[in-house]
Amino acid sequence: MIRIDHLLKRYGSKTAVDIPAYTISDGEILGLVGNNGAGKTTLFRLMLDLIRADQGEIAINHIPVSRSEQWKSHTGAYLDESFLIDYLTPEEYFHFIGRMCGLRKAETDERLIRFSRFMNGEIMGQKKYIRNLSAGNKQKTGIVAAMLNRPSVLILDEPFNFLDPSSQSSLKHLLQSYNRETGATILLSSHNLTHTTDISTRIALLEHGVIIRDIENRNNAALQELEAYFGQE
Amino acid sequence: MLLLETYRNQRLAAKRSPLYERNRFAKFLISFGVLFWIAYLIYLGTALYFILQEEMPNMEPYHVLNGTLVLFLILDFFLRFLLRTPVQEVKPYLLLPVSRKRVLDAFLIQAAFSRFNLIWLSLFIPFAWLSVRLFYGWTGIAGYAAGIWLLMVFNGYCSMLIRTLARQRFAYVLLAVPLYGLMLLVSLMQPDGQDGSFFMNLGEGYIEGNPWTFAGTIAAIICMAGVNRNIQGRLVYRELARAEDNRIKHVSDYGFLERYGIIGEYMRLELKLIFRNKTPRSNFWSYFILMALFAAALSGNAYGSNSYMGYFICLYCYCIFGLMTLSRIMSYEGNYMDGLMVYKETLYHLLLAKYYLQCIFLAIPGLAMILPVVQGTITWLVSLSYLFFTMGPVFALIMQLAVYNDKTAPLNGGIMSKSQVNTAWQAVITALSFAGPLLMHRMLTLFLPETAACLTLLAVGLLTVATHRLWIKNIYRRFMKRRYDNMEGFRYTR
Repeated sequence: MIRIDHLLKRYGSKTAVDIPAYTISDGEILGLVGNNGAGKTTLFRLMLDLIRADQGEIAINHIPVSRSEQWKSHTGAYLDESFLIDYLTPEEYFHFIGRMCGLRKAETDERLIRFSRFMNGEIMGQKKYIRNLSAGNKQKTGIVAAMLNRPSVLILDEPFNFLDPSSQSSLKHLLQSYNRETGATILLSSHNLTHTTDISTRIALLEHGVIIRDIENRNNAALQELEAYFGQE
Repeated sequence: MLLLETYRNQRLAAKRSPLYERNRFAKFLISFGVLFWIAYLIYLGTALYFILQEEMPNMEPYHVLNGTLVLFLILDFFLRFLLRTPVQEVKPYLLLPVSRKRVLDAFLIQAAFSRFNLIWLSLFIPFAWLSVRLFYGWTGIAGYAAGIWLLMVFNGYCSMLIRTLARQRFAYVLLAVPLYGLMLLVSLMQPDGQDGSFFMNLGEGYIEGNPWTFAGTIAAIICMAGVNRNIQGRLVYRELARAEDNRIKHVSDYGFLERYGIIGEYMRLELKLIFRNKTPRSNFWSYFILMALFAAALSGNAYGSNSYMGYFICLYCYCIFGLMTLSRIMSYEGNYMDGLMVYKETLYHLLLAKYYLQCIFLAIPGLAMILPVVQGTITWLVSLSYLFFTMGPVFALIMQLAVYNDKTAPLNGGIMSKSQVNTAWQAVITALSFAGPLLMHRMLTLFLPETAACLTLLAVGLLTVATHRLWIKNIYRRFMKRRYDNMEGFRYTR
């Protein structure tokens, strides 16, 4: 469970995030949508303790993220390229992440099998450093690395960016099956309303740092509401 | 108009580099560096006059210097490898409704008026002030300066042509061999009926204001500019379509470190950081060569009976790589710090791995010092005490920078790029780390015999090494307290 309590983050006079209270239950897939500058990435950075909140706190599984590192062992995340160690090959990077999570090389290799379809033969065995991969393949590398530890909380910022249509579809299936099998809580942000509503059980619409709508997404019902909202904009 | 626009854009690109813009110390250091080199060239120009006057009393110093002009051209050619070619700069302008040739012309004209062409005047003008002015007055100096500037413009175009071709196929660099070989040959030959070599007469022509000499140089410049225009125009699309083969031929895995668990994993990461990225790799080999040269000089007793110079060199050999690498501690990691921070205690393990690896690297100067010890230029006790003192207090002090470094250093920015500039903290702590052991040794020898002083240094070193987990944990805790500020700094300077 993720609990947000009186969270406030400002950059100068601009409010980036202002969420009095919000709870994401175990097993939910929460889609975070909003225009540029709405505060989606800032909220994720706050959740991962990468930036300091001006007020309030976030707790993952009852552990306040700014006061302990315990939450890190069951949380996986990929926000952008700055998460990748780009002078490693993807294989080396996965093994490195695996070691940090306490996995042996063989265990990491075994876990990577699950992602074979998603990686589509374009990542492993390419004899390339991550810095020389295409943007889409870098994105895939980051997403796979985030899921390697089988985290109970998975945070992905704009995961569909740079991916070709087949990979986008593959990612949707991957995330849904992962959620079904492990009961993990998944948080993802996207500008693609269709993909987001396709897989999310709940949608949070963020504008100027504030969650202005919290929509239960039964039978993809949120898509209409979101399209109506952004159409009006 | 286009000329001014492209010039303004280039200036803005340099000024608005994220690291430069947010780092006041970098601005200061770059200005200081430029002033230093200008001052150094002025000093060199002045000193050259007196040296040449003393060494070759039968010739005028400016004759001798003019005879060696080709050497300056060769040096200038190599320095220009740091500059970009017009064909690399032209890309953003290709979709604008401006002719491609006009954009290239703008860049070619800019290259002629580049400030880089003026650098050598810092050497030649003071030299001319002392030597030329006596015979030809102010007009002689002005003519000489104008001539040298034109010669550098010509050399700039030659270099630009070779660099442009070399981007297509590296073997084109070899064109420099016949070009400068021919110039060298011409500068050594003295045709019948002439008083000096070609370059001597060329220099004299500039000094005397001979219009034919200037006209000849300008004609050569126009000719080279024309060749550049033609070649660059042809290569624009090839440059745009340029695709480097990024496949790795051999992947060094450093698998032998696997047995050391998580720390071994971070040591492997650190080794890959050093050897797979241009900047740290260049640094490593530069310091390695420097260290080897100093060790050889120490073995050859180049510093005579000056024992403090021997101590200085010995310490330098031990410290140099550690100081230079660790002074940028966390700055390289700034490129992927967010990724590291979402895993538990990663930085603590990373710091330990960095420390162990630096200690292992000390084996290189340790081995290099065997020869001076055998030769008797330093004692084994001095070598051993400096080794452990470096491993202990020196590394402990320099690693404190892990708490304060908050600017990302580019991994492949090149050794001369301005984003390599350090912060004030880095400069101060590096200086302290280097001067500290020498001062301590000196102070100890005031109260103790030499052997006891060395043993004290050794004991302090061993004690710090023995407690390394404590002080590294302390660094880690202090970093975690400052993490938000540091990570913000890394993010803004990426």
